[in-house]
Amino acid sequence: MEKEFLTKTSRSVTLNVTGGKIDSFREQEETTGTVRVYENGCIGVAGCLGTPDEAALEKKAVKALALGIPYPCRLDGALEREEAHDEEIIPVSRFIPTMQRFLDRLGEMCPRFAFSNKISLNDERAEYRNSQGRHLVSSGRSIDISLLAQNRGSGNLFDTGLSYEGNCFDEDGLLAQFKKEYDAFYTPADIEPGRYPVVMTAYGLFGTFLQHFVAEMYVSGASLLSGKLGQKVFSDNLSLRNDMNPATNPGARFFDEEGCVAPGLRPALIEKGTLTGLLTTKKSAEQFGLPNLGTAAAAYDGVPSRGFNQFYVDPTAQTLRELAPGRAVYVVMASGGDATPDGHFATPVQMAYLMEDGELVGRLPDLNVSGSFYDMLGKDYLGAVRGGLKPGYLQCAVTMDVTK
Amino acid sequence: MIEFRKDFYADVRTEDRSRTTISYKAGVLEEMKTREERRAFLRVYDGRMWYYASVTDLAHLQKTLDGLYAAATPNGEILNDPVVRRFECNRDSRMQFTNASVRNVPAEEKQALLRSYLPLLTEDACVTMPEGSYVDRSSVFHFQSSLGADITYDYQTCGLSFYCSMTEGEKKFSGHWQKGAIRFDELKGLTEEIRSAVAEQTAFMRNSVPVEPGKYPVVLSPEAAGVFAHESFGHKSESDFMLSDETMRDEWQLGKNVGSPILSIAEWGELPGCGYVPYDDEGTKARKNYLIQNGVLAGRLHSAQTAAALDEALTGNARAIDCSFEPIVRMTNTYIEGGDLDFDQLIAPIRKGYFIKTIRHGSGMSTFTIAPSLAYEIVDGKLGRPVQISVLTGSVFETLGLIDGLTRDVQMLSFVTGGCGKMEQMGLPVGFGGPYVRVSSMNVQ
Repeated sequence: MEKEFLTKTSRSVTLNVTGGKIDSFREQEETTGTVRVYENGCIGVAGCLGTPDEAALEKKAVKALALGIPYPCRLDGALEREEAHDEEIIPVSRFIPTMQRFLDRLGEMCPRFAFSNKISLNDERAEYRNSQGRHLVSSGRSIDISLLAQNRGSGNLFDTGLSYEGNCFDEDGLLAQFKKEYDAFYTPADIEPGRYPVVMTAYGLFGTFLQHFVAEMYVSGASLLSGKLGQKVFSDNLSLRNDMNPATNPGARFFDEEGCVAPGLRPALIEKGTLTGLLTTKKSAEQFGLPNLGTAAAAYDGVPSRGFNQFYVDPTAQTLRELAPGRAVYVVMASGGDATPDGHFATPVQMAYLMEDGELVGRLPDLNVSGSFYDMLGKDYLGAVRGGLKPGYLQCAVTMDVTK
Repeated sequence: MIEFRKDFYADVRTEDRSRTTISYKAGVLEEMKTREERRAFLRVYDGRMWYYASVTDLAHLQKTLDGLYAAATPNGEILNDPVVRRFECNRDSRMQFTNASVRNVPAEEKQALLRSYLPLLTEDACVTMPEGSYVDRSSVFHFQSSLGADITYDYQTCGLSFYCSMTEGEKKFSGHWQKGAIRFDELKGLTEEIRSAVAEQTAFMRNSVPVEPGKYPVVLSPEAAGVFAHESFGHKSESDFMLSDETMRDEWQLGKNVGSPILSIAEWGELPGCGYVPYDDEGTKARKNYLIQNGVLAGRLHSAQTAAALDEALTGNARAIDCSFEPIVRMTNTYIEGGDLDFDQLIAPIRKGYFIKTIRHGSGMSTFTIAPSLAYEIVDGKLGRPVQISVLTGSVFETLGLIDGLTRDVQMLSFVTGGCGKMEQMGLPVGFGGPYVRVSSMNVQ
């Protein structure tokens, strides 16, 4: 009988911000334990909240084998690896005064905005062991600033926001980058309907299509990608990956829930335009004869299922100007979009700036952008930049139809 | 027994939750588990700051509470604090599922029920990857406060969810069907309903045509109308967004005209289903609140903090997704009230428009969106061909003013998967619904 053991601990302190002032302090701590056993092609799982009693959990997991849940797979072999990205960012005792000072400076710099929502310090640790001698430990800290900005008098729930997730806190840098957005916010701009480079996060552009990369959907034939594995069907410029690298995805673990460690920590779905990977678990990879991408997720008491961390797109440009010279639409917020079964994508854009040669020149009215799946990842894909307006921030550009 | 200290406000909320999940994919068992969890959320308020802790170790609640007290500052005037003065002090026990608890139904019986429906998904060969799930949740909530509130109530949902990948030649479609209930027996005898839903979706895949984008009259089903009410206006009624910017109070004055005179949107936690919240997570009793009444802004949703800040009454809408988080202002059951037409009368005047029957998701800011799943043409007052629509959009206030017809009957919907997301708290169970709603013009893409 093969066995796997996982223990995960997360701690966080979270501040709530209302009108630029901190009005609450929340502490959360959670430890979970998981034991999975494998025998005769089936899986048994047991999990608990709190520090695990592994012997007791193992007994429960063995008992769960009787449910007969098929899970053909092979555990990965021996590997000892530990990665710690847990340098202290801000001492908890200094968290409130440090953040209130930041908020005060932000408020002075942006007097026409009212700020609210959350700032948190997070501390995560995960340990994976299996009966093949594999032992992986990951720990990391991150700070997550997620502030909503209301343009005073707009009547909107929020108009834009300041978001940052990282493993350091550069107060001056964050304020300086947000100042550029604030200045452009109050300069009205317009754009004629037409086709323009649209600069967005990779998730904003491609998130709707993530389901088409799921192994089961691919094999069923219902995916827009069905039958294309190994084929070059997209732009040479496009390499699309799952980001498990803490250097670019703070808080990410270097292994998935089944103890898989992807080379480079960024397993590729698309490599230079060729479809090379699908979202799998060990089970679906084995079942359908597919390569396992190593991106499985799992509840602490659940059978592994397909997961995904965050998009990483290989940068093709050094600056926004190089990525999208001339006139472009820089999207800050676009929610509610979707695609038809044949891949036509459309989304309203609630907050965007007009960009000229990489510089924000003014705020655009509400827009709609649209395109088709193969074109967006193919002939209309322009590339990606890391950095741009925000340090470390990854954005893509695609030529799309822009309408009002 | 919790010992509360004077000179502070404090409350302790616990949930004992049982959740069963059974799922099959392509006829093979994928998951079968029952998770039992007990969590607590503790709050201490000193008139200036809130101090929160979320714990899973319920044996040491007093110690955790004492830790929060130590961080806060005693305030001899705490009982005169405007937020504290708003809190209700209800004492009640409302246990309505004791004799019909899903905890008492053997897992094998739940599994057998789910399995009995699975063959219906593959009666048409175009279904290539059928998935089916049974999900239930049984919770017992207990709330105590330093003011003497002591409330216990139970909550239950159960349901079935099916998802099918369909493909035939170049045609593809992802079909889904879901039924939420509050008693296990309500999930029996659904064979014809499921068979009919699958047949409609396979026909949609085969026969649907792309929509010609433009502005058209649109009729929303109770499902689509409920999502529209929730997303377009319900979130705007959550008054925590008014706290940061004082000018919002002028923008959102009660009594202002915000929609068509035939439009009324109500919110009420007492309705049975997944949005059932008889007492909110601050111990406030549910009551029916009108957000819009006859086209006029009639009310908004509150926690004690927002009610105090806006000097308005409590509404019973302080909710958290579980005992990991603090309560914030959320919806419960949100619905559009009925009108005076039947369905045929509603679509009769439409020369060319669309009927949105089911949806995948929706969102609402200044612009709302609805992503339809099943949609049909309306031509010369009759339903026509199935059509593929990626998204409906429009300005919220303009669209609220363009509602020009409502059917009589209101349908409330209940769900066992998904839920409402707000900031860090995702997947909150909410109910919504309405009549069939006609909008004279919507942007269809």
